[in-house]
Amino acid sequence: MKRAVRVGAGEGLVITANRLLDGAIVWLSADHTWQTAIQRAEVLVSDAVSERLEGVQSRAQADGVVGIYEIAVRPEVGGPVPLTMRERIRAFGPTVHPQFAYEQQEGAGA
Amino acid sequence: MTTAIGQYQYDQVDRDFLAARIEEFSEQVARRLDGALTEDEFKPLRLMNGLYLQLHAYMLRVAVPYGTLNAAQVRAFADVARRYDRGYGHFTTRQNIQFNWIRLEDTPDILRLLADVDMHALQTSGNCIRNVTSDEFAGAAADELVDPRVHAEILRQWSTLHPEFTFLPRKFKIAISGSPNDRVAARFHDIGVIARPGDDGRVVFQIFVGGGLGRTPIVGQELYDSVPEERLLATLEAIIRVYNAHGRRDNIYKARIKILVQALGVAAYRNEVEAELAQMDIARYRLSPEMVASIEARFAAPDLQAPEGAAAVLAEQRAQNMVFDRWVRSNTHAHRSEGHIIAVVSLKPPGEIPGDVTADQLDRLAGLSERFAYGELRTTHLQNVVFGHVRQDQLYDLWRGLVDVGLGAPNVGLIGDIVACPGLDYCALANARSIPIAQKLGARFADMTLQEQIGALQINISGCINACGHHHAGHIGLLGVDKRGEEFFQMTLGGRADDQATVGKILGPALPEDDTVDAIARIVDRYLQERSGQESFLETLKRVGEAPFKEAAYDTV
Repeated sequence: MKRAVRVGAGEGLVITANRLLDGAIVWLSADHTWQTAIQRAEVLVSDAVSERLEGVQSRAQADGVVGIYEIAVRPEVGGPVPLTMRERIRAFGPTVHPQFAYEQQEGAGA
Repeated sequence: MTTAIGQYQYDQVDRDFLAARIEEFSEQVARRLDGALTEDEFKPLRLMNGLYLQLHAYMLRVAVPYGTLNAAQVRAFADVARRYDRGYGHFTTRQNIQFNWIRLEDTPDILRLLADVDMHALQTSGNCIRNVTSDEFAGAAADELVDPRVHAEILRQWSTLHPEFTFLPRKFKIAISGSPNDRVAARFHDIGVIARPGDDGRVVFQIFVGGGLGRTPIVGQELYDSVPEERLLATLEAIIRVYNAHGRRDNIYKARIKILVQALGVAAYRNEVEAELAQMDIARYRLSPEMVASIEARFAAPDLQAPEGAAAVLAEQRAQNMVFDRWVRSNTHAHRSEGHIIAVVSLKPPGEIPGDVTADQLDRLAGLSERFAYGELRTTHLQNVVFGHVRQDQLYDLWRGLVDVGLGAPNVGLIGDIVACPGLDYCALANARSIPIAQKLGARFADMTLQEQIGALQINISGCINACGHHHAGHIGLLGVDKRGEEFFQMTLGGRADDQATVGKILGPALPEDDTVDAIARIVDRYLQERSGQESFLETLKRVGEAPFKEAAYDTV
């Protein structure tokens, strides 16, 4: 069984996945659509995550996403920032090709 | 299609097979997209076709059989990079190429494009026999005893879609060389094969088994000293059958053949293989001279004609141009044929990403191969590219062409020739980024005079314990580890992958990413202080032990 993601004081959780068609990273927004910019992700408290995950898992094929899971973030003025390096790279792009960094506030849905 | 040098020529059967496989995969993709296949059902199917889902996108890993390519294939890579990726390809540590920004729906078209030049992505993933690797100097090196490519091709045909070995306990890697100077890391493979002429002139094979890197690094042990050519396939079949029957399927971390060989002991493993051979229909697996000759006939050989005085032309050009002369010292290898030379193209310009090539560079490499190397290129497991047969009087022009496209770094085998996996920037398995630290090290030691002064020093970097960057085999190895979401690097010293294969020894606690480059710089400084005469780093390490280097690495005052 998957271990729950731990969050500290002032931290929250966001739900992420990859888009089926192209593998692009997407984030679950408050209106339950998948967005390519983490700024549009809804920051959830731990208690709300399980139910939300269940819902999006059941719609994964219709929504065209795979590999859904939650990550811990620190809410900041510009939007949520993942706590781990791995998820920061997923959120903002590979660190070694600046030209591949993800445009912030880009809003195309899944 | 013109006959390519140094490669097995596909026939219609090969091409029809590839076309059928692509159509099958195309249908599978369509069924995945319309929901007929779930992700769990589709994942093993896409992996069988070399398609991974990585951090940012799908990644397609294309097989380069025993590292040999022709110009048309390299242009096809450029085409894929331009049309379907972001203008790049990445040469891997298994002589393959991978593309990091692929769309699922484009994959069938990419596979068709590759099939047009006799390429595919089969068996670049999954628990099967992966792409067989070989010596990048095959058929060219002065120190070679047997050209391994014919037998590499035989192994490729034997292992491709082998019905018994499609679902092994774990992935299985084979390397083959025909030189006593091991350039294929034979002792770090599940099976390593070294070919040499036997007493009767027929080829015999020394076979190592149970080597590997990853979570449990182990140097392979000699299973046989001289297997006759006609028994090669039977012997390999028996070795893998024993593994298939007894390998641990209950624990992914103990599923490789190395664990089984360690558990049984090599003598007992040999007994098991002998027992298997005794009940096999050996005649069915007999590799006859006629079969070998028929495969050999599908390889075109270069007409190695160099003008008299080619060596003198090269000597004169070296004398006139110090930069070129330095490149020749580090980036060439002696050829078996008078007037020729082997050229190694470093894909490690200082500060750049090891193994990355742009579409434009791929096109230029293809063009240079046609002008100077019979239209043939090879990839290396050290993430470089080789022109196998270059006329000595044309080497200068080849070098000028490489410099023009940013690939003239004179650092092969030196500290700037860093091997690194894609790491956390791309790989879903990684714990730490390999590429940035490789770039920082490359920039730190960018001074080519300093690199030459330091001499032979191989740095290998892996972003996780799976060790795709072969860190255990590096003279200096770095393993990225995650400590509470931050990157640290554990350092090993003394690894090597040649005929004296050794697993590097852990130096001490992992260092924060920020301190790692400085720690390596201090180790290198200490080596330059400690070394006697022209000792290499490994020789000095052997003589003085690790203590001075440990002191240097952790000296932060």
